[in-house]
Amino acid sequence: MVTLLSYLQAHAKVLKWVFFAYLLGTLLFDFLIARHHPHFWGDSVIGFWALFTVFGCLGMIVFCKGLSHVWLAQREDFYDSEDSDNDE
Amino acid sequence: MMSSTIFLHPASYFILGALLLPLFTRFKMQKVLLLAVPLLAFWQIHALPESFGICNFMGFELVFGRVDKLTYVFLHVFTLMALIGAVYCLHVKETGHHIAAFLYVAGALGTTLAGDYLTIFIFWELMAFASTFLIWYRKRKRSIEAGYRYLMVHTAGGLILLAGIFLRYQNCHDLTFAQIAVEGATTADYLIMIGFMLNAAVPPIHAWLPDAYPEATVTGAVFMCAFTTKTAVYVLARAFPGFEVLAIMGAVMALYGVGYAVIENDARRILAYHIVSQVGYMVCGIGIGTAMAVNGVCAHAYAHILYKALLFMGVGAVLEMTGKSKLNELGGLYKRMPWALFFTVIGGIAISGFPLTSGFISKSMIIASAGADHRIFLLVMLTLAAVGTFLSVGIKLPYFIWFGKDSGVKAKDAYWNMNLAMAFAAFMCIFLGIYPEYLYRMLPFAVDYQPYTAYHVSETLQILGFTGLGFYLMVKYLHPEPKSNLDVDWFYRKGALVFMWVACKPISIANDWVGEVYRTVGLRFTMLVAKALSWFDWEGIDWAVDNSAKGVVEGGDKMRTLQTGKIQQYIGGAVAALMIVLLVVVFL
Repeated sequence: MVTLLSYLQAHAKVLKWVFFAYLLGTLLFDFLIARHHPHFWGDSVIGFWALFTVFGCLGMIVFCKGLSHVWLAQREDFYDSEDSDNDE
Repeated sequence: MMSSTIFLHPASYFILGALLLPLFTRFKMQKVLLLAVPLLAFWQIHALPESFGICNFMGFELVFGRVDKLTYVFLHVFTLMALIGAVYCLHVKETGHHIAAFLYVAGALGTTLAGDYLTIFIFWELMAFASTFLIWYRKRKRSIEAGYRYLMVHTAGGLILLAGIFLRYQNCHDLTFAQIAVEGATTADYLIMIGFMLNAAVPPIHAWLPDAYPEATVTGAVFMCAFTTKTAVYVLARAFPGFEVLAIMGAVMALYGVGYAVIENDARRILAYHIVSQVGYMVCGIGIGTAMAVNGVCAHAYAHILYKALLFMGVGAVLEMTGKSKLNELGGLYKRMPWALFFTVIGGIAISGFPLTSGFISKSMIIASAGADHRIFLLVMLTLAAVGTFLSVGIKLPYFIWFGKDSGVKAKDAYWNMNLAMAFAAFMCIFLGIYPEYLYRMLPFAVDYQPYTAYHVSETLQILGFTGLGFYLMVKYLHPEPKSNLDVDWFYRKGALVFMWVACKPISIANDWVGEVYRTVGLRFTMLVAKALSWFDWEGIDWAVDNSAKGVVEGGDKMRTLQTGKIQQYIGGAVAALMIVLLVVVFL
């Protein structure tokens, strides 16, 4: 398993193209399948979930990371009071 | 309860086992007991009658055993998980840790089987109390503090639950634990719901979970991630299906948890936040409340316990072997801990809902039930949470631990028992994905759902693939930083500091000052007041009443002059007095 992983890491470029081919494949597959009982309009658009995922994913990363940088992120000893030492 | 019915109850095995563990420390007998108890319990739940262990306690009817299909599916996964957890912690030498884990499991099983609110409350508190020790046994200062916070939050939640139970008893004198109708719900029922929601980690009362779980012991976290929240899911599914508030809160929760999972750094904190997200699906399904949704909730709880435990085991193995769980300190471990990587990735793809894994056949049931109920907003929110799930737990977590920049951390693969437990959980994740009927047969309602449709597969492949694309594009931006993010526990953690500061500084100073004032001014003043009162009592009240006090004193003074101290005179006086009394009696 380790050799396989090392081999894959050495051929990352090939892996990248395989991955892109897979993405294209999922979109092509979406053309072929039958659509029974769509729950809402999105279900009847080809490639809807691909688009939804890309925007959702990027939006989530930008929003969460942004919020973290602007507001939420603190040092990991933020709650430790000053006179106590951490025994890590 | 008759002794024969006591041993029907699977929790009794764990309680008895916990009592026996300290006596079995020799010749590896403890390990045998650790495995035998969950095995017995797992076998025992198949033989449970529909109702048992009903007893009368101070006028209340306590029902220790109520079994139906909803109970059974949770009992099944709880005992299975107890077995996996026991295998995973076989190498742990501290007997107390095993006792805490057993009592914790007993609490979860007892709650699941309970048929009335009082019994629920007893086991509910046992669960909170026992699990605290799973945090404390890590023995670091942070863990001790986190354990105290965990215990206090759960005590508060327990009190809210108890208040609801009392109020309910006052309202309708009925403590039977059954479904509550949406229309007839009273304040009491909502208090009970809040008590349950605290254990289900519904925001904003969720912060105990990501606060406590990352501080628990490696093996303790494996137990904790399975039982507390899923017991809460069970009681919510039993009592509150169809409550709209749960549907909305659940969908919010699914996104809230996953949002934090995207930005956190500590691997176990990511997983802890991700529990919030996954339980969000279940809470949302309970809120939708249709037969399909409740089926989905049970299926998802079953699948979730197994793959979340698998993930905690994988990351726990890394923590056990390297002493690290922060992503920024790890990286490039795939050559040194390949088995942990292998199992964790199976957990990761299962939680993300890859076809042929358990997540694909369980999570989609809840999402589909939202769609079937025409709840499009819920459907979109839950699907977005699925995107975040694969991003944070499916890709980010394994990538930054096992690949990414090589941290040079020394490590080797975990103990055999840890790997065995992981292998078993991983097997279950795949098994349920390939053979969903095994799980579907256990669900409370008849299942009319087929996960493997072409459309569902296509949708899932797109979501997973393009999430991968999102990660690929943003990987630099997602690089872990040694930071931790604020959450609502800020209010009570900083609030506690403010309270302590107020207690130490102003109140303490004020206390000293008042003491000083009292010593100098107050004492004299008090003496003066006492004198004044005494005078008032003497002159004022006595005169007002009948001068009796003065009369008694004056009489006493006169008596003193009569007391000469000579015994003859006393006897003479006594005889004279007796004669007078006799004369009075005879002649009057």
